[in-house]
Amino acid sequence: MTAAPQTPTKQSPSEVPTFPLMRRLFAYRPRLFVLNVLAWSGFHALPAFFSYFVSRIFAHLGELQTAGAAGAAGAPGSIRQVAITAAWIAVVGFAVTRFARFGVFYFAVRAWFRLWFTLDALLRRNLLGWLLLSRGSRRLPDTPAEAVSRFRDDVDDVAAYTEVWVDAGGFLIYSVVAITLMWRVDPTITLVVCAPLLLVVLFVQRLSPQIRSYRRRMRQATARVTDFLGETFGAVSAVKLSAHEGQMVAHLARLGETRKAAALKDVLLTELIKGVNTNMINLAVGAVLLLGANLILRGRMNVGDFVLFFALLPRLTGSMGYFGDMIARHRRTGVSFERMQRLLQDAPMPEVVAHHELYLNGQLPELPTRAGATAFETLEVRGLSAVHDSGRGLIEASFRLTRGEFVVVTGRIGSGKSTLLRALLGLLPHSGGEVVWNGEQVTDLASFFVPPRSAYTAQLPQLFSDTLEENVLMGQSAAGEALERALRLAVMQQDLSELPQGLSTQVGARGVKLSGGQVQRAAVARMLAQNADLLVFDDVSSALDAETERQLWLGLSTELPNATCLVVSHRRAALLRADRIIVLDEGHVADQGRLGELLARSPQMRALWDGEEVAG
Amino acid sequence: MSAPAAPLPSSTPALKVLGTYLLPMWPRVLLLAALLIGSTLLTLTLPLLIARFVDTSTAALTAGGEGLGALGTLTRLSLMYIGVALIVQLLSAGATYLGAVVGWSATNRLRTDLTAHLLGLDMKYHKERTPGEMIERIDGDVTALSNFFSQFAVRVFGAALLLTGSVVMFFRENAWLGAGVLAFVALTLLGMNRVRRRGIEPTRLEREGSAKLFGFIEERLSGLDDVRSLGGGAYTLRKFLGVQGSFFRQLMTAGVERTAVWQFSMLMFTFGYVGVIGAAVGLYAAGTITVGTALLLYQYMSMVEEPIDQLTQQLQDVQKAGASLLRVGEILSLTSQLPSGTRLLPAGALSLDFDDVSFAYEGEDDPSARVLSQLTFQLAAGRTLGLLGRTGSGKSTLTRLVSRLYDPTSGALRLGGVSTLEADLTSLRSRVAVVTQDVQLFQASVRDNLTFFDPGISDERVRSALTEVGLLDWAEELPEGLGTSLPAGSLSAGEAQLLAFARVMLRDPGLIILDEPSSRLDPATEARLTAAMNRLLSGRSAIVIAHRLDTVARADDILVLGAGRVLEYGAREALAADTGSHYSRLLRAGQLGGSDEGEIDALEDDIREVLA
Repeated sequence: MTAAPQTPTKQSPSEVPTFPLMRRLFAYRPRLFVLNVLAWSGFHALPAFFSYFVSRIFAHLGELQTAGAAGAAGAPGSIRQVAITAAWIAVVGFAVTRFARFGVFYFAVRAWFRLWFTLDALLRRNLLGWLLLSRGSRRLPDTPAEAVSRFRDDVDDVAAYTEVWVDAGGFLIYSVVAITLMWRVDPTITLVVCAPLLLVVLFVQRLSPQIRSYRRRMRQATARVTDFLGETFGAVSAVKLSAHEGQMVAHLARLGETRKAAALKDVLLTELIKGVNTNMINLAVGAVLLLGANLILRGRMNVGDFVLFFALLPRLTGSMGYFGDMIARHRRTGVSFERMQRLLQDAPMPEVVAHHELYLNGQLPELPTRAGATAFETLEVRGLSAVHDSGRGLIEASFRLTRGEFVVVTGRIGSGKSTLLRALLGLLPHSGGEVVWNGEQVTDLASFFVPPRSAYTAQLPQLFSDTLEENVLMGQSAAGEALERALRLAVMQQDLSELPQGLSTQVGARGVKLSGGQVQRAAVARMLAQNADLLVFDDVSSALDAETERQLWLGLSTELPNATCLVVSHRRAALLRADRIIVLDEGHVADQGRLGELLARSPQMRALWDGEEVAG
Repeated sequence: MSAPAAPLPSSTPALKVLGTYLLPMWPRVLLLAALLIGSTLLTLTLPLLIARFVDTSTAALTAGGEGLGALGTLTRLSLMYIGVALIVQLLSAGATYLGAVVGWSATNRLRTDLTAHLLGLDMKYHKERTPGEMIERIDGDVTALSNFFSQFAVRVFGAALLLTGSVVMFFRENAWLGAGVLAFVALTLLGMNRVRRRGIEPTRLEREGSAKLFGFIEERLSGLDDVRSLGGGAYTLRKFLGVQGSFFRQLMTAGVERTAVWQFSMLMFTFGYVGVIGAAVGLYAAGTITVGTALLLYQYMSMVEEPIDQLTQQLQDVQKAGASLLRVGEILSLTSQLPSGTRLLPAGALSLDFDDVSFAYEGEDDPSARVLSQLTFQLAAGRTLGLLGRTGSGKSTLTRLVSRLYDPTSGALRLGGVSTLEADLTSLRSRVAVVTQDVQLFQASVRDNLTFFDPGISDERVRSALTEVGLLDWAEELPEGLGTSLPAGSLSAGEAQLLAFARVMLRDPGLIILDEPSSRLDPATEARLTAAMNRLLSGRSAIVIAHRLDTVARADDILVLGAGRVLEYGAREALAADTGSHYSRLLRAGQLGGSDEGEIDALEDDIREVLA
């Protein structure tokens, strides 16, 4: 095995290629994306046209007033009539553009939801897909609860950033039209009014590193709260039994305070930016008044022109502010990508936006049949090492397994028994050594050691909220007989008859509705239902009583004589049955051989067998 | 304020919660209101300044030659406009910040209240739910409420003020127009409220779907090793796509239903603007108003639009919050099936009485569903009971009744002479210590793991507890000592079990339940624990469950359970001496349990010879 242990790829924020990633994401549903851009462009650009019509209305009214007053005596009624008719025509233009916008919105909003939620779904599918299916060992960098916030908040952030791009075209058209119209009235005023808007954009850009760090702190504080809640309710019975609910709640309150402080900073800054953006319009209007006073008195500007500014400015400020916000959103999206990448660790960056079918209509495809594999003959482990951060772990373990053997790994607490199994199966990254299966070196342990080659039952196996049957089969279309056998070998027959709904029993979250022993047996049945050659048990017997355990080993040896078992145990029932025992001590293989030999020559073995403390 | 009150009739429960959590902060709420009122009043003067500006300038133009003389007035008006606009900006920023402070304080309290309430519910409730779902209930729902709390005040209240002010301004200009606008506003808000209701149910379904989806993810991620090592990746992904697909469809429905409000308001305002502008042109043509006033009307219309737009947007949040509130309310109205009594348990070792106790997890009256059936026995204070029986025979369930995670279906159970139903629950739980099969550890410091985040326990006590279980050396070697965070999975199951022992050492229980305490310890480590265990049990009552006979060798009494019934109960020595007893048969069969498994017995004998 050559693959280096998986170290998280250090990717500094500036390296996150947000643009290419987003481009790839949009390309997932290109037509839908373009449709959105078109619809929303129309939606955002139309106000420029109805502002124009409003200004025409007031221009005509203004003409009338000035004309009426100036030539009170000579103004013919027809001129007055023409101006009023022109004003009414502008009113019609105004009405038509407004109604058109209403119609566009109807379609735009539907298209947008489809796009947004589809991209959300794609990101989540890719995150989970990589964690489930990728090569190499997968360890979550944080608690599952915190990982869930990657799936929820960060995914939302990224998909919502799409909104920025969908809206961009419309805002751009609006800005260009608006600035052109204003320019025609007076270039100086237009420049004076637009300059501060550009300043806002620059201001936001200056603030964006700050925004990011506030946002990150806020997210971390939030994650600590959700983590704590997850752990509290994951251990709810322990918390209740210890009568420490009050202290847990007090701790939650402390975490909440920290989060509040972080959130307020985030809110303050975000609101500051928003406030500057929106209130900038009033200042701009003030500027138009100030500068326009002179022009209007000299007759170079009329009421209609004023109204044009007033009507266009709010949305123009909005658009400019939007471009400023776009920069901030872009940075935040970078943070979200970064955090998702931290979850995926060694995945190539584009993985999170890779294109996969989502089956959102509910028509799921058939499960692909498992690839076959040649029957197991031998397994050779040479110098396998895997060291935890604590410095403990497994150091250069070597051993052999051949078909049909029953091999027990034993040793004291912390001697590396579980680490040995987990490193072999690729559940932990290993720092050295090689694994040879049927004479061929295995390059990726994690994707290699799966059914039909091997199956594994953890020390604390996890079941999932579903029926017992679903849990055991895990999608295997095991015929009734195979399922029957798996349950029989796992000594589950009696449990099944006691459970009111039998195989259809909902096991509850993490199997909480079953007893500890039932969870273990269900997990063993689940492993056996996979029809694997090599069965790896990590101390499953600990929740089983002696009789149950005896039945398990006996059943395996009589019904599955060809199955190879690698078992962590310190129970005599297992040790007595072992073809070979591997004794671990402080991460090293201290000795291996048959029980009789080991008892004769290995002090560690004798200590374990007798339950006596080894001297020292 | 009659108009803005219109959209909120269905929000009565929301207002009640608002009251509960906002009233204690009344000074801040008052200040917030003052800021909002100030900024609204000032905002309303802005169009007046513009109208004055336009009329002054038109008048000056009409007057002809001396027009430039009005420049001073116009400049003053412009500067006033800018000044007022700046003050408005300051006030509204202050209001937003204050709103957030109030919102976060209120929702933080709601979160802790909810957590405390949920922790108080019995295990029957928790068995049905994943931790991910709990997170969604407490944090997801409450965060939706947080927007509601903080934004409701600022946005909705502010918008309502502005709306009222604008309508008043219309009345000032023209009573008929004012009446028209008022009718328009009322119609729009009423209609919006009606349309809005359509969104509530889909929104509730959406949040349920969201809880389900994230619950699924959380559970699968915490069982990632199981899934991957069993080649269940494709299967799990397929299931996920199914859950996600139905969530997607819920989102689409809820999204479209929710935006119907927006759509409606857009249609109404198309009519509204066209109406006001038409009226302005008509009135002007009739010579009733000036251009400045016509412009004023247009501007006030946008002051009607803005708050209604705000209200529409906020109504979406109110909708989300409404759905969340509904469920927060649902949760808060749940009561534990195990109401606490009031009697305190006596100090010292506790005696234990089972009086004809039966229990079933489901189906109260169905004898076939019983896990425990008519148990009667007494354990005297200070004695240790060894509990034996096959898995599934009801041993763990028996202990769950003692620690009152469940109540007996029938019969009575007394601790120190106090019925568990009458005992104060906190008193009971703090006097009955349990070491379960699974040790639950938190991703927190060693200290917090031992004390359950109780800062009131001194480091000294924590150290001495660690010393007793032989983990002190281990703890001292950690980089930050007791403050070191326990990374998930860094402890072996055996060490975790030792930590669980240390937890019990920190308390002074009168009854200790050891549910297979040594199940994951290798014999060598178990030996380390035995001494500490003996210290712990001395002077206390205890129930020790074990599959290994040597674990119960120190017990005073033995109870053998079979299919939820007492097969045998008595003093250990008496049972051991009685050759017909289950216990003595078990003793003879040795820890292998299978008396008929001659082959292995023979092998063991061989080995004993080798050793000898």
